[in-house]
Amino acid sequence: MQAPSDLSLAAPSRDAAVLDDPQQWGAFGKPVADSQDLWESNLVIEGMHCAACAITVEDALRQVPGVVSAEVSASSHRARVRWSTSRVKPSDWLQALRAVGYGAVPANDALARERRLQESRRALWRWLVAGLCMMQVMMYAYPAYIAAPGDLSAEMERLLRWASWVLTLPVILFSCGPFFRAAWRDIVHRQVSMDLPVALGMLITFVVSTAGTFDPQGAFGREVYFDSLTMFVFFLLSGRWLEQRLRDRTAGALEALLNRLPDSVQRLRADGTVERVAVSRLAVGDLVQVVAGETFPADGQIVQGHTQVDEALLSGEALPLGRGPESQVLAGSHNLTAMVQVRVERTGADTRFAQIAALMESAALSRPNVARLADRIARPFVIAVLLAALAAALYGWQRDPAHALMVAVAVLVVTCPCALSLATPAAMLAAAGQLARRGVMVRSLSSLEALAEVDTVIFDKTGTLTRDAMGLGTITTRQGVTAEEALAMASALARHSLHPVSRALTQAARARGLSDSWLASEVSEQAGQGLTAMLAPGGGGAGRRAFRLGSAAFCGHAQGRDAAVQTCLADEQGWLASFELTEELRADALAVIRDLQSRGIAVQMLSGDSPAATQAVAARLGIEAARGACSPDDKLALLRAAQQSGRRVAVVGDGLNDGPALAGAHVSFALGHAVPLAQARADFVVLGDSLRMVALSLALAGRTMRVVRQNLAWAAGYNALCVPLAVLGWLPAWLAGLGMATSSLLVVLNALRLASTRTSRLAAGPSDAALTLE
Amino acid sequence: MDILYLLIPLSVILVFLILGGLWWAVHRGQFEDLEVQGQRVLKDD
Repeated sequence: MQAPSDLSLAAPSRDAAVLDDPQQWGAFGKPVADSQDLWESNLVIEGMHCAACAITVEDALRQVPGVVSAEVSASSHRARVRWSTSRVKPSDWLQALRAVGYGAVPANDALARERRLQESRRALWRWLVAGLCMMQVMMYAYPAYIAAPGDLSAEMERLLRWASWVLTLPVILFSCGPFFRAAWRDIVHRQVSMDLPVALGMLITFVVSTAGTFDPQGAFGREVYFDSLTMFVFFLLSGRWLEQRLRDRTAGALEALLNRLPDSVQRLRADGTVERVAVSRLAVGDLVQVVAGETFPADGQIVQGHTQVDEALLSGEALPLGRGPESQVLAGSHNLTAMVQVRVERTGADTRFAQIAALMESAALSRPNVARLADRIARPFVIAVLLAALAAALYGWQRDPAHALMVAVAVLVVTCPCALSLATPAAMLAAAGQLARRGVMVRSLSSLEALAEVDTVIFDKTGTLTRDAMGLGTITTRQGVTAEEALAMASALARHSLHPVSRALTQAARARGLSDSWLASEVSEQAGQGLTAMLAPGGGGAGRRAFRLGSAAFCGHAQGRDAAVQTCLADEQGWLASFELTEELRADALAVIRDLQSRGIAVQMLSGDSPAATQAVAARLGIEAARGACSPDDKLALLRAAQQSGRRVAVVGDGLNDGPALAGAHVSFALGHAVPLAQARADFVVLGDSLRMVALSLALAGRTMRVVRQNLAWAAGYNALCVPLAVLGWLPAWLAGLGMATSSLLVVLNALRLASTRTSRLAAGPSDAALTLE
Repeated sequence: MDILYLLIPLSVILVFLILGGLWWAVHRGQFEDLEVQGQRVLKDD
């Protein structure tokens, strides 16, 4: 049986030229912000087997003139290329990839899905061929093992060997194809990777056994090893097949999210008739009809119908949510119960879905520091194994060439650098996937590493420990200004900010029907302090004046009643009004703080509000280290001081108003729905509204690093034990194959423990069993 | 025991026939989407 030609590798450059059309670029990439002509494109790389391949692909891409940077993820087979539109075309770097033997298709493309399906079918088919042939070869080998001398006639033995040889052919020619192809590519490009020793081992075994079958008097003796050969090929393929399935499951949350949008959607024409259009052709203002079971194609507002939606992947909210006319629905969420009509408000890259997808892609591509170390070790390790196998073969050659060769085969097959390079990314991706399912997005995998070491957590108060929505209490105003007027002016300013206080003001004004009586221009926001703007009366009348809205200090006003949160409005003549705001603690704040403290993590609170208001909240939560009246610079200074005293600090804020502190921390969390994801510069973004996710992430990060250490220790221990055994000739080839496949699998399975909901609840310990989501 | 000289080549042919069947199954997509097919029977339409 001849191996079918590998479509993915031999793919003609038909689609490459198509990709040179700038109109196509948007489908799998986006222009880089703040640059003239840079684009960032996402690719799915084919033919990659291990970490060493990732480095090869990266190097090949980087060597193309005009490619600024390239990052390749070994575990998700995805690449991100930054390239200059004026100096290079997509077909150029695709050509460069093909030259080193890898195929690539644009990510977020139906083509990629089709290719992946083909690849998985081929993998399954290879595995089945190896499995069935192995079973039958075993049957033919059995008589030779049990027959007493003389029982088995010479002709019968020869017939059984020929039959074994015939059934080994499809295994070696077809099932082993990927190993040989990868090894050949490595030889051609003068590289070493994982597949080279394995392919060498297979080839040697087959040659020795074939010689034993057809020329029993020859130099290689009369022994045959067809049973060992088919068995270890089967074990290796089983290992790879399972590994691939597990990886798909681990990255499942990511993939599920990225592939979530439907391809087409029913759009309502003006006359009420329905047409099917591609989602990419939707425009803002279109009216679409989404039936039960479909996914919403864009962010929008329900015009007609009541339904329930599943937003689990977008917000971590596990329960179905009711949605009726005038309520918002998000692209990527599922319509569960009834047909609704939706007015499209945001499409494509503007949707929250697209922002989350972008975040997740950047996480999957980042490579943690521990993994970089393992990647560096893998290459010299493979070279050492090749040398050890050569030494073992030379040592025994004089006595028995066939036996010496089989010892070398065992050495080649037993080593498992893949376990070494899989150890870290597998665990971290599993953890990131688990967090993603709970509604926590990880920006880069290294931050999981950093989070595991955190011993101090600094919380911002407003909107973090307290509920996002605040109520408006009493309004105190300057003589001659009514409360209503003051609120109308304040809300005109506040509308331009996402700070919880601003949102509370806007909401209160809208509730009283005051929203549009003033127009603001030249609005600027000083993070953590307040807003300044020019206000003019809405009717176009005269009286344009400068206003400030923010903390008492920002508005040049003395602190009012201390224990309450208040914000001030001032114009050119000074203080104009004070708005007292009532805030509620989040329901889970106390439990989360207790939990962190019980795990020996120091908890601090910093706030821009008055010291008295801050202390009041701190006392209720049992936080000793609390400081009020902090400007963003104060927060940063306190953070630096904590870091200099050797503490590893995580900062939890709303992601927008704590910018500098978040950026300065070892690890940062941004919390709350309202923040536009693209602007939140935090390592972890909590999509839902739950503080407990912070505690959960901390627990999971600790667990992840434990699993990584276990994996690395296992991979190192396994190789240290098995390679010497094989060199000494104490490991038969089939056992070596089994050991290698099991070793890789164990690493992936161990990592997968992080992805299972049940174990993560157990791992979190009894103290925060209440914290994990049901 | 002479029958073995016929049966063993026959078993080789049989293996190839089974492989042919598996090839058909894999490439017709019989092993994809295992959950959905099981649930299809529960759907009304």
